[in-house]
Amino acid sequence: MSNENKLRAHAEEKYAAELYELKQQDRRPKPPNWHLSPWAIATYILGGTLDNGFEVSPKYIGNGRLIEIAIATLTTDRALMLMGIPGTGKTWVSEHLAAAISGDSKLLIQGTAGTAEEALRYGWNYASLIAKGPSDEALVPSPIMVAMKRGQIARVEELTRMPADVQDALITILSEKVLPIPELNDEVQAVKGFNVVATANDRDRGVNDLSSALRRRFNTVVLPLPATIEEEISIVKQRVQEIGQAMELPAEPPALEEIRRVVTIFRELRGGLTQDGKTKLKSPSSTLSTAEVISVMNSGLALAAHFGDGNLNATDLAASLTGAIIKDPVHDAVIWRDYLETVAKQREMWVDLYRACRQLV
Amino acid sequence: MDTQHLSPITYHPTPITHHPSPKIYGIRHHGPGSSRALLASLEEWGPDIILIEGPADGTDLLPWLAKPEMEPPVAMLVYRPDQPRRSGYFPYAVFSPEYQAARFALEQEVPVRLFDLPQGVMLASDHGPAMPDKQTFELLAQATGYTSYEAWWNGFVEQRQDGRDLFDSILLLMQEMRLAAEQHNTTDIDQSPEKEKEQAVRLRLAEQREAHMRQEIRRAQKEGYQRIAVVCGAWHGPALIDLQNEAADVALLTDMPQVEVDIAWVPWTYGRLATFSGYGAGIRSPGWYHHLWEMGRQNHSRSETAALWLSTITQLLRQEGFDASSAHVIEALRLAQSLAALRDITLPGLPELNEATQAVICGGEAEPMRLIQKRLIVGERMGLVPPDAPLVPLQRDLYAQMRALKLRPEPEESLLKLDLRHEQHLQRSQLLHRLKLLKIPWGKTIKARGSEGTFNEVWQLKWRPDFAVRIVEANLWGNTVIDAAGAFAADQAQQAIHLPTLTSLLDEVILADLPPAIEIILHKIQEASALNRDILHMMGAIPPLARIMRYGDIRQTDQALVAQVVETLLIRVCVGLPSSCRQLDDKAAEEMLSAVINVHGVVSYARSTDLFDSWYATLAEICQASGVHGLVAGRMCRMLMEGGRLNDEETISQFEQALSPTYAQKFDLQTIRQAAAWLDGFLRGANLLLIHDHQLWDILDRWVMRLSSDRFEAVVPLLRRTFYSLSEATRRQLAERVYHGQPSGPEETLHQEVDPTAADAILPVLSELLGISDSNKWEETA
Repeated sequence: MSNENKLRAHAEEKYAAELYELKQQDRRPKPPNWHLSPWAIATYILGGTLDNGFEVSPKYIGNGRLIEIAIATLTTDRALMLMGIPGTGKTWVSEHLAAAISGDSKLLIQGTAGTAEEALRYGWNYASLIAKGPSDEALVPSPIMVAMKRGQIARVEELTRMPADVQDALITILSEKVLPIPELNDEVQAVKGFNVVATANDRDRGVNDLSSALRRRFNTVVLPLPATIEEEISIVKQRVQEIGQAMELPAEPPALEEIRRVVTIFRELRGGLTQDGKTKLKSPSSTLSTAEVISVMNSGLALAAHFGDGNLNATDLAASLTGAIIKDPVHDAVIWRDYLETVAKQREMWVDLYRACRQLV
Repeated sequence: MDTQHLSPITYHPTPITHHPSPKIYGIRHHGPGSSRALLASLEEWGPDIILIEGPADGTDLLPWLAKPEMEPPVAMLVYRPDQPRRSGYFPYAVFSPEYQAARFALEQEVPVRLFDLPQGVMLASDHGPAMPDKQTFELLAQATGYTSYEAWWNGFVEQRQDGRDLFDSILLLMQEMRLAAEQHNTTDIDQSPEKEKEQAVRLRLAEQREAHMRQEIRRAQKEGYQRIAVVCGAWHGPALIDLQNEAADVALLTDMPQVEVDIAWVPWTYGRLATFSGYGAGIRSPGWYHHLWEMGRQNHSRSETAALWLSTITQLLRQEGFDASSAHVIEALRLAQSLAALRDITLPGLPELNEATQAVICGGEAEPMRLIQKRLIVGERMGLVPPDAPLVPLQRDLYAQMRALKLRPEPEESLLKLDLRHEQHLQRSQLLHRLKLLKIPWGKTIKARGSEGTFNEVWQLKWRPDFAVRIVEANLWGNTVIDAAGAFAADQAQQAIHLPTLTSLLDEVILADLPPAIEIILHKIQEASALNRDILHMMGAIPPLARIMRYGDIRQTDQALVAQVVETLLIRVCVGLPSSCRQLDDKAAEEMLSAVINVHGVVSYARSTDLFDSWYATLAEICQASGVHGLVAGRMCRMLMEGGRLNDEETISQFEQALSPTYAQKFDLQTIRQAAAWLDGFLRGANLLLIHDHQLWDILDRWVMRLSSDRFEAVVPLLRRTFYSLSEATRRQLAERVYHGQPSGPEETLHQEVDPTAADAILPVLSELLGISDSNKWEETA
C-alpha cells in the first residue's frame, strides 16, 4: 500500500526525507545502534536549518530544553517517562524519538487495564506450542523483546493504565537488560541501543501508580500545557474545525470569541489564577486539558446544530462546560460556583454565559 | 575565549615616573571562581598593599572581618545618621572576592584599603552612579552561544579550574567591552530633559568613582608601595591602567558635596544576597556559589563538585520525607553530564544539574524543586557580627525612641499601663507592638483586670540582653523600627499561606500601625481566601477586616481594598456555607454558630444590598436543608426573623417544624436532642423574645407539656443551658409568667383602640409581670 492511501503514516515514513538529510549531514558521534547523533535528533524534533540549507520542520513547539533532557536520558541507559495531561504531545514526542533514534516507531505497546504480561514479555502460538512443545518457533515475541534483540527503542503508551503487577514485568528488563524465558531455559539479552520510552497521564496518578522500584528506572520529563492562550486557542480552533468537518455538522464553526471564552475559563481554573493575574482561584479535580476544551466546543456545536438555531451560543455550551468542570459533585460544584460568582459575573461580556451556567448549578 | 582577534593593547604606560604599575584583578562581585583565582594569584604574587573596590570611608572597619566572631554573610552598612533610610549596603559572602582579598591582607598583615568613592559623597547625591549597560554583556553571551551573560560568566570564569592568566584575559576583554558600550551609548539620545539631567549626574558620579580609584592608586604609589594589587569589578579594570592624567582626576574630584556617614557591620542572609546587593544586581544562587567555593577550597574536582551537590540534594529530600537514594545521585549525575555534552558544555552547570535533579530524583515534579531552590540554591545561611561592633542605625533609632517615649530597658519585670487616648501612650504601644513583630518581645500584653475598653493596654516589660543581637539582626529589614517592622511583616505575609496566620498578622500590624504592610497583607488575604477550603477560616477572617473598615485609621485606598476583600470573602462564604453546615457534631456546631454570629454582625454593615440578599438567601437555604445541626439552623432562623426575612407566621411555622418531630410515637433521643439544639440556637441570648412573642411562648409551652417525662428528662440539661444564657431578669420574668399563667388574649389586642381606664387597671399587674418597678431592669427591657 502506498503512503498516500494510508489514513496516517508513521513518523519515519512521513518525515523520511528529513531523516535522510539529517543522516547525510550528521558528523557528530552516535551512540551504538542509533541512526542519528543526539544533536541531529534534537534538530529533527525542534526544527532547524542544516549546513546545506535543508529546512527541518519543528515537530514539537515548546520548551526545547525538555526535549534535550529526553534525548540525554536515552543516551544513558535509563528509560524515559513522558508525563503530562492528555493533549500535551507525549505520544507525538515518543513516536518521533523512536523514529529518529531507531528509524522505527512501530514497536509499540498500548497500556490498558486489560494489558497482560504477555504483551510486555512474550506469548505463545498455542497450536505450535501444543504440537511441538515450547520452542523458539512457538514463541511470539512482544515489541519489547523485538526491540531488545534489535537494539531499538520500544514505546509503552499509558503505562499507568496497566495493572501494577504487569508494569513490574518491566523492572528486570530495565535494570538487568535481560528478558528470561524459563520455558526454554533461555533469555534475551538486550543489544546496545535498546531503551524504553513510556508515556503516562499525570492526572491518573494514584490509579496504578508506578511502584517505586519501577519508578527508579525512569527519568521523568513533564510536558506542559500550551504556554500561551493564543497558542491554545489556535490548537482548539484547528481541531474543532477538523472534527466538525468529519462529523459533517451543519452548524457554523464557532466564532473565535466563543473559543476564547471557553479557553479562558479552562486556563483560569487550571492555573488557579485569572488571566489578569489579579485573582487566585481554586482548581477543580477535572483535568481541564486542551482536549477537553475541544470536546466542549464540539458538543456545543452538535447541540447548536441539532437542537438550536445552528449558531453556537452560551446556552449550547453551558451543559457540556458544566459537565467538563464538575467531576466531583460536591467540591467541584462549589469551586465552579465560586468562579461564576467572583469572576464570570464581573465580566460584562460574559453575562449570557454566566446566566446559562448559573441555571445549571 | 579566543584573545587573538582582540587588538593588542598597551596597558603599561610609557614610564614617565618610576612608579611600578599596579596589578589589576578584575573580578565579579560574589564570584566564587573569581575568589579562588584571586587568592591563588595573590599568594603567588605577594602584594605589599591591596586596594579593594568599596567605599573608602569603610576602610577602618575592614579589620573586623578578621575577628573570629565575625561570620559571613555580613554587610557593611553605610548610612546617614540624620536620615538612616539613606544608606548603602555592601554585602560580603565567604565566596566574595572582596572578602577573601581583605581576609588575605589581614592575615598576611599587608595594608588593605577600600578605594572607591566614599559613601559620604554617594549619599549626598540624589542619584546613584551609572551602571554599565547590560545589553553589551548580553551581546557577548549571544556571540559565544550562551543563553545569558550570567551563564557565560559562570562557564568561563566561575567554574574555571585554571586561574592562570585569567585576569589578563578579563582585562583585555573588558577593554573591548567598554569600547563597544561607548559606541552603543552615543546612539542613545531618546530621553526627556529631566532624565537627561539625571543621567548626566549618574555619568559624572561613575566618572568620579574611577577618578577616585586612580587617585588612590597614585597615593599608594607615592607612599612607596611597589606591588599594588587592585581588586575591582572587572568593568573598572581598563580605566585604572592609565594613570598619567592626574590633573583631570583632581579637577573631577574637587568640590564634591559630602555628608557625614556612620558605618556598621550587620548580619546578612543568602536570601537577601539573592534579591539585593549593593552593586545593583543580586546573585541568583548564593547557596550554589557557597558550594562551589567550599568544593574548590577542598580541592574537589568539578565532577566531584557536581556529585556532592546532588548528594546534598538527596539528603535534604530525605529529611523532608521524599525518596532519594544514592543510586539517584549517580543517575542524575550521568544525565547532567549527557545534557552538558548535548549542549556542548564541558561540564554540567547549575541548569543541567537542576534539570537532571527534577527528571531523575524528583520524578518530574516541581514541588521538591521549589524546596531545593529555597534551601540549597539560594540557601538560608545567616551571618554573625560580634556584639561589640559599632552601633547599627536600628539601634540608634530604637534608643532615640526609647528616650523620647521615656521607656527604659530594665531586666526586671515591670508593668506598664497605657491609655491609648494619650498620644505618648499610643506611641509607646505602637513601638512595643512593632518590636514584638520584629521578634524582640520586650513587652507582652496581658489582660487587664477591671479595665475594660479598647483604649486600655497593660504591658509586662522585661528587657533581655539577647535583644541587642536581635536588633542587629533585625537591621536587615530596615534602618528604623517602623521600616524594619513593616518590611518584616510584609515578608512574613508573603510567606504565609493560611488565612488565620494572615488575619492574626493583620491584627498585629494594625496595632503596630504599619500602613504599607497592611496593603500587602490584604492582597495576600485575598489570595489565600481563594485557595482556602476551610470555611471557618474564611469566616474568621471577616470580623477583623470589618473592624478595620469601621474603626481602622488607614488610608483611603486601603479602605476600598478592605471593602473589596470583605466582599469577596462574603461571596465565597455564601457559596460554601450550606455544604459546611451539614454533619456537624455538637462541638463543631458551636464553632460554626459563633462564626455565623460574627459574620452576621458584619453583614449588617455591608454596603451592597446584593450581598445582603445573598447572605439571607444562604441562611434561608440552610434553614430549610436537612441534616443541619439544630443549633445553627435555629439561630439562622432567628436571624432571618430579626432581619425581616421571615414574617411572624413563617417564623411560627419554622418553630413548629423544628419541634414537631419529637411528637412522634417512637422514642428517639437524637430527634429530641436536635429539637432542643434548635431551640437553644433560636433562643440563646434572646432576652426579650419569649416575653414579647406570645405565640412563640405558646408553642414552647405546648411542646414542653406534650413531652413525656422520659423525653423531658432527655432535654432538660439542654434547655437549662439555653435559659441560662438569658439575663437573670428575663429568667425571673419568664418564671413569673409560668407561675402566674400568661396574659390573656393574643398580642394583637394591644394595637387596638385602648380604653384608658381598662388599661390603667391592668398596669399594676403588667408592671409586675415585666418587672418595671425595678428601674435598672426597665432600661434593659427598653
